[in-house]
Amino acid sequence: MVAVTSTAPRQGARKPGGRQALRLVVLIVIVAVVLYPLLWMLGTSVKSQEEIVNNIGLLPERFTPGNYTQGWNNFDLSFGRFFLNSAMVSLLTVVGNAVSCLLAAYAFARLRFRLRGIWFAVMIGTLLLPGHVLIVPQYILFRSLGLVGGEWPYLPLLIPQYLATEAFFVFLMVQFMRGIPRELDEAAKIDGASPYGIFRHVILPLSRPALVTTAIFSFIWTWNDFFRQLVFLSSLEDYTVPVALTLFIDSTSQSAVGPMFAMSVLSLLPVFLFFLAFQRMLVEGINTSGLKG
Amino acid sequence: MALTTAPGRTGSTRSARPHAPRRGAGRNRHGEGLAGYVFLSPWLIGLMGVTAIPMLLSLYLSFTNYDILTPLSEVEWVGLANYERMFTADPSYWHAVQVTLTFALVAVPLKLAAALGVALLLNRAWRGVGLFRGLFYLPSLLGGSVALAIVWVNMFNRDGAFNSFLAIFGIEGLPWVNDPEWALETLMLLAIWQFGAPMVIFLAGLKQVPGELYEAASVDGANRFRQFWHVTLPMLSPVIFFNLVLETINGFQGFTAAFVLSNGTGGPVDSTLMYTLQLYIAGFTDLEMGYASAMAWVFLIAIALITTIFFSTGRFWVHYSDGER
Amino acid sequence: MHTSPTTGSPVEPLFRSRAPRRRILRGLVAAVVAAPLMFGAAACGDDGAATGDDKVKLSIFWWGGEARAKLTEDALALYTKKNPNVTFEKTWQANQGYFDKLATLTAGGNPPDIFQIDDNYLAEYAGRSTVLDLTSYKDSGKLDVSKFPKSLLEYGVVDGKLAGVAAGENTQGLVYNKSLLTKNGLPEPTTGMSWAEHIAWAEQVAKKTKVPGTQDPSADYKALWVWLRQQGKDLYKGNDLGFDEADVTRWFELWKGARDRGATPTPDVIHEGNSSDITKQLVVTGKSATSWVWVNQMPDLKKNTKDELGVVAYPGDPSGQWARASMYWSVFKGSKHRDAVVDVINFLANDPEAVALLGTDRGLPSNMDLRAKVSETATDPAMKQSIAVETELAAKFGPSPQVPIKGHSKVKSELVKAAENAQYGRVTPAEAAKQFLAACKSAIA
Repeated sequence: MVAVTSTAPRQGARKPGGRQALRLVVLIVIVAVVLYPLLWMLGTSVKSQEEIVNNIGLLPERFTPGNYTQGWNNFDLSFGRFFLNSAMVSLLTVVGNAVSCLLAAYAFARLRFRLRGIWFAVMIGTLLLPGHVLIVPQYILFRSLGLVGGEWPYLPLLIPQYLATEAFFVFLMVQFMRGIPRELDEAAKIDGASPYGIFRHVILPLSRPALVTTAIFSFIWTWNDFFRQLVFLSSLEDYTVPVALTLFIDSTSQSAVGPMFAMSVLSLLPVFLFFLAFQRMLVEGINTSGLKG
Repeated sequence: MALTTAPGRTGSTRSARPHAPRRGAGRNRHGEGLAGYVFLSPWLIGLMGVTAIPMLLSLYLSFTNYDILTPLSEVEWVGLANYERMFTADPSYWHAVQVTLTFALVAVPLKLAAALGVALLLNRAWRGVGLFRGLFYLPSLLGGSVALAIVWVNMFNRDGAFNSFLAIFGIEGLPWVNDPEWALETLMLLAIWQFGAPMVIFLAGLKQVPGELYEAASVDGANRFRQFWHVTLPMLSPVIFFNLVLETINGFQGFTAAFVLSNGTGGPVDSTLMYTLQLYIAGFTDLEMGYASAMAWVFLIAIALITTIFFSTGRFWVHYSDGER
Repeated sequence: MHTSPTTGSPVEPLFRSRAPRRRILRGLVAAVVAAPLMFGAAACGDDGAATGDDKVKLSIFWWGGEARAKLTEDALALYTKKNPNVTFEKTWQANQGYFDKLATLTAGGNPPDIFQIDDNYLAEYAGRSTVLDLTSYKDSGKLDVSKFPKSLLEYGVVDGKLAGVAAGENTQGLVYNKSLLTKNGLPEPTTGMSWAEHIAWAEQVAKKTKVPGTQDPSADYKALWVWLRQQGKDLYKGNDLGFDEADVTRWFELWKGARDRGATPTPDVIHEGNSSDITKQLVVTGKSATSWVWVNQMPDLKKNTKDELGVVAYPGDPSGQWARASMYWSVFKGSKHRDAVVDVINFLANDPEAVALLGTDRGLPSNMDLRAKVSETATDPAMKQSIAVETELAAKFGPSPQVPIKGHSKVKSELVKAAENAQYGRVTPAEAAKQFLAACKSAIA
C-alpha cells in the first residue's frame, strides 16, 4: 500500500502533520454525520418491539440483544441458510458479470467490427427502460423456456448474468479500457499479437480497477436485490436475505421489527467485509504495475 | 445516443502516436472483425435471448390493454390510446414528470459532487483509508431495505433526530418526511447519502491516472489546484462522463428510495411520486401494465435524448487515452 | 422517434417503419405465448385425482407472518396425514410484494392451485377468469358452507360466481387507548355513538390530555364506506360508484370540522397514521387516542404498546358494518386438481381439528359452530376483546355490500390523495371531493 501515492509526494512533505490531522478531522466529522442513521439502526436492533415504536432515541432504555437470537431462529430454518443462499447467488453473479461483461467491453472498446456503433447504442439503450415493465415479460419468457420452477430455482436469476445483460458493467468497463493507452496495443500488435493475445496480455492485466469495481457492485446489488428474487424463488429454503428480511414484517398483521433490524444489521456484515477486501485492490492502482505509457 | 460518438467511430488521430490509418490495417481488419463478434457473442446471445424479447414485448404491450392477469394471447390492441391518455387525460402523469425532473436536477449533481469530493479525500493510501472508504460506502449497502425506510422516517420526522439537532440552535423543525413541501427534499437527501457507488468508480478512475503526469506537472511548477484542473480532471473525464450518464439515468429512474420512503404510495399527496414509482403503481397495483409499458417507452425515449446530448457534448470534454473520441 | 436527423438513437434499430414492426411483434408474441399456452392446455384437464391413488402435489400461496406460516403448515400437514396422497408445495411471504408476485405467476400461466386473496383484488382476479367458480361445488356439497354466516358467504360472490371462500371474518374496529382515558377520568367510546358525538368526545380528550382524541379517518376507505352505508349509500353500486360528490364533500367537511376543533392530529401525523402498517397506528405510537383499524388487529396492536387498549365499532349505526371476509381462499381455474383443491379448502374451513389449529389468525373462523369453540379457547386477552366485540356486532351487522370492483385500488389511493390535500389545507373539502370523483370515474371506467 505504500508505493501507491499517485499524486506528487512533495505535497505532503511540506507540513505533513497539520495537513494529515486536518484531513482526519474533516473526515471524521463527515463520517459521523453520514453514519448517524446507521448507528440508530444498530441501536434499534437492540430495542424491544414496544420501544421501537415509541422510543425514537438512539439508545435503548432496555438493552434487548435477544433480537439477534430470535431473528436468527425465527423461521423453520436458521437465518444462516438465507445468508448461504444469498452468498451463493451473489458470488456466482460476480463471476458471470466479470467474465461476460469484460469480453463484451473489450470488443466495444478496442476492436473494430461491422455495426459496432449500432450495437453500442443498443447496449446503452437496454439501460434505459424501467425494469418494472420487463419483469412480467421476462417471467413469461423464462417460463416458456422452461427455466422457471426447475430443480435449481436460481437458474433464471443467474443465466442473464452470464450473458452480459448488465449493460451498466459493460459500459463501465468500456470507459475504463478507453483509459488504457492504445500505444500498448499497438506495441503488442507490432510484436505480432492477435486481438486475443492483446486481450490476454495487455487488457486483462490492466483492467483490474474495472473488474474490482464490477465485482463490488455485482456482489452488493445482488445481495440487496429484492424484486427479482422474490418473483423467482418460491420456497422458504431457497429464499435469500432480502426476501427473508421482509418476512419479519407483514405490516397488516404480525411484525417483528426488532429481529428484522437485528438481521438487517447482520446482513450488512458480509457485504461490508466483501467491500473492504476488494477495495484494497483499488488501492494498488495500475501505475504500480510498471506500466509506462 | 449519437452514433458518431460511439467509441472509435471516427478515425481521429489525437493520440501521441497515431495508429495506422484504417485502410493500411487491411491485413488485420478481417481477423479483428471476427474477433469482435467472438468477444461480443455472450452479450449478443444475452441481447437476443434475454433482453430484447422482453423489451420488444413491453413495446408491443404498450399498444394494448394488458393487465397482467389476462393471457397474452387475449390482450386487445388499443393503438395509441395509452399514449394519448398519458399526455392528455392523466394529470398525475405530468405531476410525476415534474417531481422526477426536480429530483434529478438537484440530487444528481449533488450526489456526484459528494462522491468526487470524498473520493479525492480518500484517494491517497494511508493507514485506515480502507476503513473510511468502507464507512462511506456503508449507507449504499442498505439499498432499499425495510429497515432503511424506518431509519429515514425516524431521522426526518417531526420528533426525529434532525429536528433534535436543529433544536440545539433553537430552530423548530418541520415534519420533513410527512410534509408535502419537503418530502421530496428528504428523498433527495437519501439519494445523496447513498453516494457510495459513484465514489468507488471515481476512486477506481483516480487509480488509473499515471503518477508521472503529476510529477511532470509539479516539475513545471503547477500548484495543487492547477494539477487538479490540468491533470486529474482530464484524466478522470471518461469516468466522470460514465458517472454523469449513469447517475442521470439512475436519478430519473430513482425508484427504490421513493418506494421505500412513501411505502409505495408516492405520498404525502404525491409529493414523492417519481415517474418509475407511478409506473410501478400503474402496472402492478392498478394492474394496467399496458399503460405502464407505454410510460416506460416514453421514458426510454426521453432518457435516450438526454443521453444523446451527453454523448455529443462529451466530445468536447471527455479525454480518452486511446486517442479516440 | 424523432431525434435530430444527424444523430441516431440507441433504440433506432427497434423503430423501423410501423407496419413491419407490428408484424414482427405479433410473431414475437405468438412465439412467446405458445409455450405457456401449451403448459396451460395441459393444465386444463381436471383429473379429479384427489380420491384416487395417484399422488397429487398442490401448490398453495399465502401472505402473512411467521406465526401464520406455522399454523397453516400444521393444518396442511394434518390434511396430508388424513389424505396421504396429497402433499403441498407451500409458498408464503409478507404482504409486501405478494400481489406483484401473484400477478406475475398468473401472467406466466402458473399461478398456485390455491391462493389467499382479499377483497381489494378478488373482483380483479375473478373478472379475468383466473379464479374457479365454486358455485357447483357449493351446490353439490363438496364445499360445505352451510355453517357460514350468509352475509360472509355472499361477500365472496363476484358477478354471481363464488370466487372466494372466506378464510376468516373480520370487521371495522375503533381501537382506543384505555389507559390514557382512565388516567384522565375520561369516558370510553361506545358502540352506537354518533359521528358527531365521537368528534365531540375526541375534542374533549384532546383538551384534557393534549393527545388528539381521534385519528382523522377521512383518507380511509373503510371508514368512508361505513359512513356511506349509514347514509343509505354505498362505495359501489353495480359497475359504478355508490356515492356522489356531495356525499364526499360532506365527509371531508365533517373531518375538517373535527380538525378545526382540535379533535384530530396535525396533517403530518394523520399522514403517518394513514399507513396500513400496524406499527404506525397512532394509538400505539401515542399520537392519538384512537385508530381506525380492523377488529382482529387488536392483538398485534397490543404488542406495540404498554397501554391498555379497548375496541368498539365505528361510530354511527353498527348496521353500517358487515361480516367482511378478512381474506379468502381462491382456486386457480386452470388447476389440474380442482377437486382435490376444493377438498382442501373445505377441510381448512370445516374440519374441527384444522380450524382449532388455525385459530383466529385469519380472523374469526367462518364456520359458526367451530367459531364458538375457538372463541372459548382463546387465551390472549386482546384477542378475547376483539372476539367479544365481533360477537356482539354479529347480531347488528347489516347485509354485505358487493365486493369492490375493478379499479378499487386506484379509488383507494385517490381517496388518500384527495383527503390529504384537504387536510394539508391545500384545497377545500369541496374541491377535494370534486378531484376525487373525477379520478374515481376514470379509475373504474
